[in-house]
Amino acid sequence: MRVMVIVKATQDSENMGKPKAADLAEMGRFNDELRKAGVLLTADGLKPSSTGKRVAFDGAKRTVTDGPFAESRELVAGFWIWEVKDMAEAVEWVKRCPNPMPGPSEIEIRPIWEMSDFA
Amino acid sequence: MRVMVMVKATKDSEQGVMPTTELFEAMGKYNEELVKAGIMLSGDGLKPSSQGKRIAFDGPKRSVIDGPFAETRELVAGYWIWEVKDMAEAVEWAKRCPNPMPGPSELEIRPFYEMADFGEAATPEIVDRFERLREQSKNR
Repeated sequence: MRVMVIVKATQDSENMGKPKAADLAEMGRFNDELRKAGVLLTADGLKPSSTGKRVAFDGAKRTVTDGPFAESRELVAGFWIWEVKDMAEAVEWVKRCPNPMPGPSEIEIRPIWEMSDFA
Repeated sequence: MRVMVMVKATKDSEQGVMPTTELFEAMGKYNEELVKAGIMLSGDGLKPSSQGKRIAFDGPKRSVIDGPFAETRELVAGYWIWEVKDMAEAVEWAKRCPNPMPGPSELEIRPFYEMADFGEAATPEIVDRFERLREQSKNR
């Protein structure tokens, strides 16, 4: 099954300029392990919400709002897509992830809808 | 530049309200246009957070929390990855999306970090690894 593994944003990631080499290297090593295990499908980071936009949909209306967006807990800072046997395997891999942030942080795992779910 | 276009969750998506046949068709047509225009790289729907989990990181501590998660505004219901010229192009395409939810909803567009953004932090080892990841993602 595929899962999206989401690194939730924090004040730090929202205020971050460039990631540090040491952090990139550590996360890169974790990504290597994921890849060797056949788990990793994709991995990427998202720039702070100051570079983002939201489009609100209400019937026929479309309203564009520029970032930044104040509620960090609502924001995605980075994500992976993994192929795993089940949620338990996903959880075990997430526990092995290096701290994605300087301080406390949260990673969310969500299963992806597949065509077979609609059969 | 690549962007992630996220469909924010609503009470409906969290309760497992499925898209109607009409929405499936409209979204299918929209996705076809995105693919034809060379915009859409990938896209998926995420199952409700009742099937999700969170892991809290605090130093060496890891705590697992089962969904569902009450704050719907914190949740992603679906996403695309698009290749666009700039944010303006992304916004124009986003506006053309059919209503993804029965009621009011929101799309969020966020640019990706690319190697060029990392400056000196991107050592040759890191760039090489990033490029191998890119190649691998393309082949899956």
